[in-house]
Amino acid sequence: MNIEKLSGLSDEALLNLADKLGIIVPVGLERSFLVEALQEALAEDSEEREGSLDASERVEETKYSGAESDILDASLDSGWCSDSRYNETMVRLLVRDTAWAFAFWDVNDEERAQLRAGEPGSGFQGFFLRVMEEGSDPPRNADHFDIPVEESDLQWYINLPQPDRRYRIDLCCRISGKTRVLARSNPVQTPRGSLAEDASVMDRNTVELLSLSGFGDLDIPPGEERHPSRILAGSEVEE
Amino acid sequence: MERGYIALVLNAHLPFVRQPEYPRFLEERWLFEALSETYLPFLRVLRSLEADEIPVRITLVLSPTLTAMLADEVLRDRYVAWLDRQIELAERELERTARQPAFARLASIYSDLYTSARDDFTILYGGNVLTGFDYFYKKGRLEIMTSAATHAFLPLYRDVPEAVAAQVETAMISHRRHFGKVASGFWLPQLGWYPGMEEILKAYAVRYTVVATRGALLGKPVPKYGSYSPVTCPNGLAVFIRDARATEAVWSEQTGYPADPVYRDFYRDIGFDLPLDYISPWLEDGGRGFTGFKYWAVTGRTEEKRPYDPEAASARAAEHAKKFLDGRAEQIRKAAAYMDRPPLVVCPYDAELLGHGWFEGPQWLEALFREGKDRQEFRFVSLGEYLKLQPENPVSVPEFSSWGSGGYAAVWLDGSNDWIYRHSYKMLDRMMELAERFPNETGLKERVLNQAARETLLVMCSDWALLIRAGKAGIFARRQVEDAVSNFQHIYEMLCANTVGTEWITRLEKRNNLFPGINYRMFRRKRS
Repeated sequence: MNIEKLSGLSDEALLNLADKLGIIVPVGLERSFLVEALQEALAEDSEEREGSLDASERVEETKYSGAESDILDASLDSGWCSDSRYNETMVRLLVRDTAWAFAFWDVNDEERAQLRAGEPGSGFQGFFLRVMEEGSDPPRNADHFDIPVEESDLQWYINLPQPDRRYRIDLCCRISGKTRVLARSNPVQTPRGSLAEDASVMDRNTVELLSLSGFGDLDIPPGEERHPSRILAGSEVEE
Repeated sequence: MERGYIALVLNAHLPFVRQPEYPRFLEERWLFEALSETYLPFLRVLRSLEADEIPVRITLVLSPTLTAMLADEVLRDRYVAWLDRQIELAERELERTARQPAFARLASIYSDLYTSARDDFTILYGGNVLTGFDYFYKKGRLEIMTSAATHAFLPLYRDVPEAVAAQVETAMISHRRHFGKVASGFWLPQLGWYPGMEEILKAYAVRYTVVATRGALLGKPVPKYGSYSPVTCPNGLAVFIRDARATEAVWSEQTGYPADPVYRDFYRDIGFDLPLDYISPWLEDGGRGFTGFKYWAVTGRTEEKRPYDPEAASARAAEHAKKFLDGRAEQIRKAAAYMDRPPLVVCPYDAELLGHGWFEGPQWLEALFREGKDRQEFRFVSLGEYLKLQPENPVSVPEFSSWGSGGYAAVWLDGSNDWIYRHSYKMLDRMMELAERFPNETGLKERVLNQAARETLLVMCSDWALLIRAGKAGIFARRQVEDAVSNFQHIYEMLCANTVGTEWITRLEKRNNLFPGINYRMFRRKRS
């Protein structure tokens, strides 16, 4: 099915698709090779998606019978929504699992232009996300790490150092060596990745029942999980 | 006192796929197939068990979008028209296979399936299958739970309690409207739970819900009885725990019952096998697709499938029912040794697995109750009934979790679908702003605001994210998101400009007509 559709596409459309799929196309590559490479990439993508589904998702999928793979069509037309924005300065953080959060942000065009205008001679030096741990006791406001982002970036997946911690991020930029906070995200809590109590001091019956509940198959560490990396102290906000 | 309990929980859900502007629409098939292969056969099983006075206790989730579609007159008429086409195909198939006995008897099964679906639907239920569920609900054989209004994955909206509350409130109103009583149980879409969810559920008088095993075992404190008893949140909400072993028995791709070689193969369909000029009148888009007529057995991981043998499959379904009960009885026996109360095994499955995905599922279900009635080791209970028997349960708050791959939110938040949230959050912000700006509207403006609330709920549907990720019906799913975003944007602009396009809004109300009793004011900011 894909080969027929791909063969019917213009050279420009094939190159755009290759770009979307991350295929590097050498100059002068024969069209038939490009079609073949695209077909392979689409097949791999499809296999990857299939492989990433677990049993419950496959059951969900069978509900939607008649739903053939439309990865190629979706790649050719990604719709208007996926790239559109609201021209506002904001940042939001969503927790995905124990280690990852998704941040999306934007900077208002006018504000962006003002930042770029900067001060003569020094000026705007780029955006970054400052990831901070919240609610530590004693407070460690200085604990944070920075992730530089391109001006064109509007979203990022962030690896958070610890499960069961509270984080937030600031959308910042650096101007003339100084940090300016443009927007502050909602705080998020990473989920606990291990049992809330030490299994070695737990009631014996409970330990047996956890085992009978399938605890061993859930890949949950029995004790408190420690992540090797810690937030490193960085420079303070200079605003 | 029983030695243990088994609670079977079936989650019936489909996203809102009603497309009245098209004469026929591919995705509406999802509903028609589920009706023919799951919901109507399920009711047939209940009637058969009732006729034989066999005790039944099932907790059934009917999601608000599914309920809305089952109650919809346009879809009811379309379903009957679709059944007529299926019956016509069955007749053609009976002719075509007349000289092939192995296939002719299968064509006859499909002829019976669609004919009895038509009779049940039109004569027995008068076009409203909800009356069938309601009958058993009132009899106490079914306990019906509701679920989030548009099947939103709630942990991804935890920072906007108004959004989560709107999903819960709309669901509770929908349930009361269709069944005349308050739902005691609330099914979390994708079993998506986060600490704090209990406060919102309790505020709407929900008594219980269900979470994934992982989330419960990671709860604080660790649940004393593992998954063999519900836990109670400090505010009194009971949280049942999905049993991992019972899940594996049915859902495992390798060892789960539906993978048995004898059962009917779901994917091999005459829509892909027969010449296009013969089969195309029964395909939606002129291209290849499923017709529902499947003549081959699972056989194994091979393209060389054996013809389906319905008698052998029925016998295997009965064997699997016995095996399932033996497995749960063994679990109960083992767990009881460490407990001071009878263990409970909670077995939640997608309802559509039984019949649609796993053709023999309804037979397996019936065999469970027939085989189970004489067992001394356990009794079937509904979740609400269990709480009456055992109102005191260990206190614990489960951790953020879901039944999706990885156990958290990765299915509904990845590189393919994460763009949705920029729009859904913006819509939520604006919806809350509108609810604050226009708290006391009536007439046309109130209708417009209510439609804005519907579009906001629709954009939160987790099925769209799942389909986009799966790359199947991904374009359809994306368009549902885009439509909701665009409709909302238009409404927002109309309200800001103080000009309402009556014709446009009326058309939209007719198209996205779910939740007639919706009240946009539920999006007013919660004040602590």
